[in-house]
Amino acid sequence: MNKLTETLKKNRTYLTSLTLSILAALVIGGILMAVTGYNPFEGYAAMLKGVFGSARVFGNTLAKMLTLCLTGLAMAVCAKAGLFNVGGEGQLFLGGLAATMTGVFLQGASPFIAVPLAFISAAVVGGFYAYIPAVLKVKLNVSEVITTIMFNSIAIYLCAYLISSSGPWATDDSGVQGGSEAVPELFRFSQIIPRSNLSTAIIYSAIIAFLCWYIMQKTSIGLEMKVTGENERFSFFAGLPKDKLMIWSMVASGVICGLVGMFEVYGYQARFYSTISNEFYYDGMLVAMIMNYNPVGIIIMSFFFAVIDIGANAMEFSTGISGELSDIIFAIIIFLMAAERELSRVVTNGVRRKKRAAGRKTAAPAEGKEGE
Amino acid sequence: MEQLFDVFNVGLLQNTLRTATPVILAAMGGLLTEQAGIMNIGMDGMILVGAFVAVAFSFTASSAALGVLAAVLSGIVIGLFFALFVVKLKSDEFIIGMALNTFAGGLTVYLLRSIFGVKGTFSDAGIVPLPTVHLDFLDKIPILGELLNDNSIFVYLTWGLVFLTWLFLYRTPYGFWMRAAGEHPESLATVGVNPNRMKFIASIMCGVFCGFAGAHLSLGYLTMFTEGMSSSRGFIAFACVIFGMANPPKVFGAALLFGFLDALGLRLQSVGVPSDLTAIVPYAATVLMLVYVVVNADRKKKRGKI
Repeated sequence: MNKLTETLKKNRTYLTSLTLSILAALVIGGILMAVTGYNPFEGYAAMLKGVFGSARVFGNTLAKMLTLCLTGLAMAVCAKAGLFNVGGEGQLFLGGLAATMTGVFLQGASPFIAVPLAFISAAVVGGFYAYIPAVLKVKLNVSEVITTIMFNSIAIYLCAYLISSSGPWATDDSGVQGGSEAVPELFRFSQIIPRSNLSTAIIYSAIIAFLCWYIMQKTSIGLEMKVTGENERFSFFAGLPKDKLMIWSMVASGVICGLVGMFEVYGYQARFYSTISNEFYYDGMLVAMIMNYNPVGIIIMSFFFAVIDIGANAMEFSTGISGELSDIIFAIIIFLMAAERELSRVVTNGVRRKKRAAGRKTAAPAEGKEGE
Repeated sequence: MEQLFDVFNVGLLQNTLRTATPVILAAMGGLLTEQAGIMNIGMDGMILVGAFVAVAFSFTASSAALGVLAAVLSGIVIGLFFALFVVKLKSDEFIIGMALNTFAGGLTVYLLRSIFGVKGTFSDAGIVPLPTVHLDFLDKIPILGELLNDNSIFVYLTWGLVFLTWLFLYRTPYGFWMRAAGEHPESLATVGVNPNRMKFIASIMCGVFCGFAGAHLSLGYLTMFTEGMSSSRGFIAFACVIFGMANPPKVFGAALLFGFLDALGLRLQSVGVPSDLTAIVPYAATVLMLVYVVVNADRKKKRGKI
């Protein structure tokens, strides 16, 4: 408990700015609603109802939180080592498709064989898809930001082709448009809250999140990653295997994204659709950026993001306000937090100046104190 | 053989010009910020906002010119906004760029829904497209006539803008200062020019170029607005800036090459290649081109050493 208060104290300015940023973003979102002719209070009420209104919707929120948390951690893992994996979306698609097809092909096999194989295929495919841009960056110095973004589009279109009517893996089931065959019921994760998206994937997610936190914060590898990310040259002269660290942290990031793709399918979607992810990774990336790639912070923040995201969808359904409001709110939080250091400097300077001015007026000794 | 003619014909070159134009425009803006020392990956969002504003004003004011003007104004605002954070508030360029893209994606869809009441795509006969240009004397020249006539006006304006960008960067003091702001801001400051001011100007100009790119996309290339219609063109433009080492003619060449490959992909659809596969072509080509340029530059450097 002591430790907790200590951390809170240490990060007081940061937490204050975070709270203020979130409030500011919600207010701006409310103003936007009002300007476009909606009642902001109704909007936010619908949002809350859509998240806490029933066990089912709350389960959906938790499921969303897992996705955001894992994608955020995936971003944090490589960003700590100095690489930006913007390609998580592509890794998620390919990993999801690989796991789905593994399940479909192994129909009739024991789930104790099929499910682990699905895990492995998702991890390998996702990891490999991150490995290519990582090697290109480390060995040839090709910007990983661009290659991973391009890789996203390539993966998304490739998956769309493979399960489209002209592709090899389209389903014959009637009534299903643009989807793969369904993964056998036996292989899928069981639902924790009936009819919600929350499945036993939560257990696997918790394990992954714990591993990320443990490796990043408690092991020497985590420290080496951090050193490499902060100062590549120092890492080189300190004799750290910096190329290896960078490549493997990116691969780890890809593995996590691949598994997220699998969880989407095995957790509740049952089939691979070309709409498996609606820029989930980008949202996770934003969470990671807001929390400065701190794993614990990401886990907490992903809940807030999930509330806004799921809430916004519900709001669109019940009030007609576009659910994209969530993206606007997220982006505003990022803008404010990215400028946090400079903004808080300006604000504290302003406060100090005011205090000084006030002190000069009232009493002379107060001025002396301020001047120190 | 006949299939080959279906793919490789004048239409291919015409498509090249049309698909390359938005990328060229955005890339010209991107090279200015690159020269001023800002990594700008927010261009995709800037294009998207430009495209939306252009359609919105073209529809409500029934004038394509006003649509373009509004897109340019929105570009100025976004450029200013971007510079405010990146230059004045010293935020991380990567984070602000990505957040800008998310913001633009969210805002355009939100406004599309609340102003026009549609989801996904807004196309209406009331949207006034940009005029096309037809020069009679070109009709007499066999291939050129077909290629250069009846394009949207921006296709021609773009070539002029490429030349103007070059002129600006390499033949005016402002261009010189802008390059200095990126290469060595301290020495620029000693001459009495504020490097941050040059960065602001570069960012605003980039916003204007992206506004043009967006307006061309939604009023010239197509006559509608679709959710996420910039489809990573801002990133491809950024890649073009890097291949072309932020030099206008070289960047122009890179963007044309991209346009050619994109058009080739579209043409391949006519011989039965699924559209999802042809859509991959420009992105895959961008990666390959990027790798090629970097490897080539390395080899040249090594050869120079020996």
